[in-house]
This record gives sequence, structure tokens and C-alpha cells, in this order.
Amino acid sequence: MTAKQTDSPERTGAPPRNRHRLQRYGPAYAMLLPFALLFAVFLIYPLIRSMYYSLTDFNAIKPPEFVGFDNFTELLLHDDRFHKAIWNTCKYVVFSVVLTIALGMVLAVAFKSTSLRDRLLRTIFFLPSVSAGVGVILVWKWIFMVDSWGLANTVVRFFGGDNRAWLAEPSMTIPILVTMAVWGGAGYAMVLFVAGINAIPDELYEQASIDGASKRRQFWHITLPLLRPVLVFVFITSTIGAFQIFEPIYLLWRRSASIVGGPLDSALTIVPYLYDMGFNRFQLGYASAIAWILFAIIFVVTLVQLRVTKTFKEFDR
Amino acid sequence: MSVPTIASAGTVTKRPRKANLGAELARLPLYLWAVVVLIPFWWMIIAAFKTVPELMKNPPTFYPADPSLDSFYDPTLDDPDSVPGVFQRWEDVAGGFLRFAGNTFAITVVVTVVSLLIASLAAYMLTKTQAPGRRTVFVVIISSMMIPWQVSLIPNYLLTSDLGMTDSYLGYVIPGLAKSFVVFFLVQYLRSIPDELVHAARVDGASEWRIWWQIVLPLLRPALAAMAIFVALGEWNNFLWPLIIIRTEELYNLPIALSSLSNAIVSSPASMGVAMAASMMATLPTVVFFFLFQKHFIKGIALSGIKA
Repeated sequence: MTAKQTDSPERTGAPPRNRHRLQRYGPAYAMLLPFALLFAVFLIYPLIRSMYYSLTDFNAIKPPEFVGFDNFTELLLHDDRFHKAIWNTCKYVVFSVVLTIALGMVLAVAFKSTSLRDRLLRTIFFLPSVSAGVGVILVWKWIFMVDSWGLANTVVRFFGGDNRAWLAEPSMTIPILVTMAVWGGAGYAMVLFVAGINAIPDELYEQASIDGASKRRQFWHITLPLLRPVLVFVFITSTIGAFQIFEPIYLLWRRSASIVGGPLDSALTIVPYLYDMGFNRFQLGYASAIAWILFAIIFVVTLVQLRVTKTFKEFDR
Repeated sequence: MSVPTIASAGTVTKRPRKANLGAELARLPLYLWAVVVLIPFWWMIIAAFKTVPELMKNPPTFYPADPSLDSFYDPTLDDPDSVPGVFQRWEDVAGGFLRFAGNTFAITVVVTVVSLLIASLAAYMLTKTQAPGRRTVFVVIISSMMIPWQVSLIPNYLLTSDLGMTDSYLGYVIPGLAKSFVVFFLVQYLRSIPDELVHAARVDGASEWRIWWQIVLPLLRPALAAMAIFVALGEWNNFLWPLIIIRTEELYNLPIALSSLSNAIVSSPASMGVAMAASMMATLPTVVFFFLFQKHFIKGIALSGIKA
């Protein structure tokens, strides 16, 4: 104990020698070790391997063969199916994110108080985000059943329409996915917005009311600007999540092991395509390249969103 | 004309109510949306208790006219047109559906507890010690959060199979234990806790492990609760990873079991009731879980938005 005290760097002010450093920080490094080990082995190492695979022709049977950027040029310039997947993903992301946030905002403004009614309704709206899973996707499958006993068809007939084969029509796939996304995500956005709105001081609204500002003006000039950080957060996280959509597509449209993209590939998005290439066709190099393109897209979109919000911020000032 | 007087006498107190009426009218579509939100749940529950002929009735019924448990367990299985219930499927698996529920529950608990423990250790080391290199480590962890996890999917699959862990609980659980977002969240939270407590304990001669266990973990409780909910829900619904890694039916989790039922539906719509019964049993625990921990849920989500 005494030796430790005389040598402690606080006392001498000199940098500790390595042996003492290890003694001193040994427990700290030991604490990091479990996480760091798993992180390195199952995240960093796979990322490096994935980077390498993306530059190879690799079908899981013969060893990977280095081909440079061939996978990327093939994907970006020649692969029509991949272009379709990107286009479908973009449509899905734009509609699902915008509608989810808009509805989440409306719900937050309408039901932000602590009254019993508002709390009850918020619980209802939030319920789908809790129960999001395969079970709920199966319910949607049941609702959009081709047959006349499907709920969607019953509703359509009630309004005088004819039965439709919802899941078999290429034009319906993205709207169905967007509906499911808004149903599942609006409540989540609402909770974040309510927290943000309730953090805004009441005095601002009181002052605005005294100055004669209408509720609408108060929303655009007080609520929305002060909610910007939360809004940006929701925007970015839901965009990232939307780009990675897989489960609904896999469960709604998979009829056999080799078909993943729905009718005429109208529901083929990036991750299902990656799954198809990697785990149905075993084109592991090609699928790795798809994964990195997914990363690049998400990265760029996030940067753009951050930049756009920054510009708005400066514009406000 | 006594009526107007009553009305005018009432206006002073009635004015706010009138304004409310307008607001209520504007809210009407939102109440409708609340109904829309509940419909899939209702549809799932009633379908689970309908008989096979009722499931295929046109137009469909909006409540089970003749509630039956056949979708769970059909005692008249010898009939040619009856469908085996949820608990009569997967005859090769001891326990059948219950086994999958048990798998899902056990894996969810293990993943949640272990990932939070190792993340809280890492977060403590990164914020409350002076160990050299901690900043670099933190930057690497944050950067990794930007990369979608699908990027590591294929190499992780190959790595797991190199380690001989495919089609096993180990291969299912271990690759997903290091969760960067949990570390990030806990670090953010720990930074708001003053260092003095830790310093004082150190001066008193407490070891780092003891400080972590006795001081930091209790302080972290709200953050841990929030993260536990996220991790547990994610694990309960985990689909793509077990889909790739698990082949043996004994190791199925609920989402994979449901997905295999979904294939059965396509070939025979009569199985829809069974799928809905299974979906209901898989979804119900998350809803119960939500009602039990509603406060932590909402707080955790709000926290995640504000901390960001």
C-alpha cells in the first residue's frame, strides 16, 4: 500500500511507468474486455471480412477470388433487379417516413395532455410499436387475403368496390407496406414528440396568446422550431430503419424459397435482395457488395438530412 | 323567448366548451385512427377463437359466433376436414409450441441480462476511469453504430459456422451480445452523473468492480430499465438471424415458428385460425410486458430522443 502511494502519479505529477500503469488500470481494461472481445470478434472482424468479400467472387463452395470492384460495377451499372430494389426502397422510405412523422406529430399535438383520455389514446396508438413482430405481420396477411372473407375485401365491398387480390397486384405492394409501417410507427414518433412538446416552457405559449397569435401560428412558430432536435432524431432513425425493411416482405410474399420480391419484384427492396443473393443463391461476395451499398446509401442520406436541418437552423437565425 | 336567455346566460361558462367542440370535431379522424389501430389486434383475437367454417364465411363475422378452442387444440382431429391446433403441430418436437415459447423466453432473458452487464461494465470503464485509449474505443463503438447490421450478416454467418456454432443456442445468442447502442446510451447517462461518488469510493479503497456493482449499477437503474426493454423486445421478435442460423425445429423461436405456420396458410387457408392463435400467444406477452413497464417504456423512448 505504501509503495503504491508514493508512486501514484497524482503525487509525483510524473507519468506512471508502464508496470504501474497496468496495475492501476488493469481492472478497468478487464471490465472493458467482455464487451470489447465480442465487439471485435462479431462486429469489427466481420466488417473487415465483409469488405474483403465484397471485392471477390465467392459462392461459399470455392474460395473467394479477388475481382476488384466488379461486384459494385455490376450492381450499379448492369443489375436491373438491384435498380428495381433501390427504387422500391426509396419509394417505401419516403412515403413511410413522411406519413409516419406527419401522423405522429398530429397525434402528439392532439393528445399531449395528462388527462385520462389522452393517456388512454396514447397507449392505444403506441400499442403497435410494442407488438411489432411476425405475429402482427401474419394478421396483415390475413387482412389482405385474396379471398372474399379477407377484411380488406369486405371493407372494399362495403363501399361498393370489387374483391381485389391485394397481395398479387404489383401496384398494391408498396402502399400495403407503407400502411403497415405507419400503423406500426406513428405511435412511436408520437411518444417522442409528446416528450419534446412537454419540455417546451408554457410561458412561451402564454406570451404568444397574449400577443394574439393563433394556435396554428403557435404551432409553426413555437412548437415546430423547438421540436427540431427531436424531429431530426425521429427523421434519421426512422429513415435508417425503413431502409432495412425485410420481415414484412419476406412473410407476405414468400411463396417458395426462391421468391422473395413479391409480384413482378414490386416489393423487392435492398435487404430482401441481399438475403436472396446471399442465402438462396449463395453469391456471398455479391451480397456483401449489396450490404456495403446499403451502408453508403444510409450514410449519405443521414448526412444530407443533418445538413438540411443545419441549413434550416441557420436560415432561422 | 326564454330560451335565448338561458343560452346567453350560459355563454360565459359555455364558451370554452364550444371551442372544445370544434377541436373535438377536428379530432374525429384521429379517434377513427384509434379504431383502425385496434382492428388488427381484434381481428387476430377473434380469428383465434373462430371455427374453420366461420373463418371462411362471407362476409366475415366481427366476433366469434361460436367461440371454440379448436385452433389451439382440436379434439376431433380424426375428422377429415379438421385442422391440427397450435399445440398439436410439430409432433417431432417435445413440447411443440410451448418449447418455442420457452426458447424465446430463455434467450430473451439471457441476451438482455448479459448484454446489459457487459455494456454497463464497458460504459463505466469509458466514463469513470482514466484508462488510456478509452476515447479511441468509444469513437470506434459510436462509428460502428452507423453501419447497418446487415453488413456483418454474411461474414457473421460464415464465422459462426467456422466456429461450429450454427444450429445451436450459442451461435444464436453470442454474436448478438455486444450491442453498441446500449454502451452509447449508458455512456451518455453516466456522463450526467457526477464523478465525486466514484472518487470517494476509490479513496475509501473500494475496488473498481465493487464500485461498478455497488454504486454505478444502482445509479444506472433508469437507463438500464429503458435499455432492457429495447433489447428484450428486439430479442423477442428476432427473426432474420435465427432464420439463417437455426435449422433444427427444437431450437426455433416464436417468430420462426410463426413464419413456418405462415407457409402452411398459403397451402390451406383453413390453418389461418391456427396461425392467429399462435400469433396471439406470441404477441400477448409483449403487450402485457408493455402494460407492466409502461412508465419505463415511455421514459426510455423520451430519453433516447432527448439524449440524441
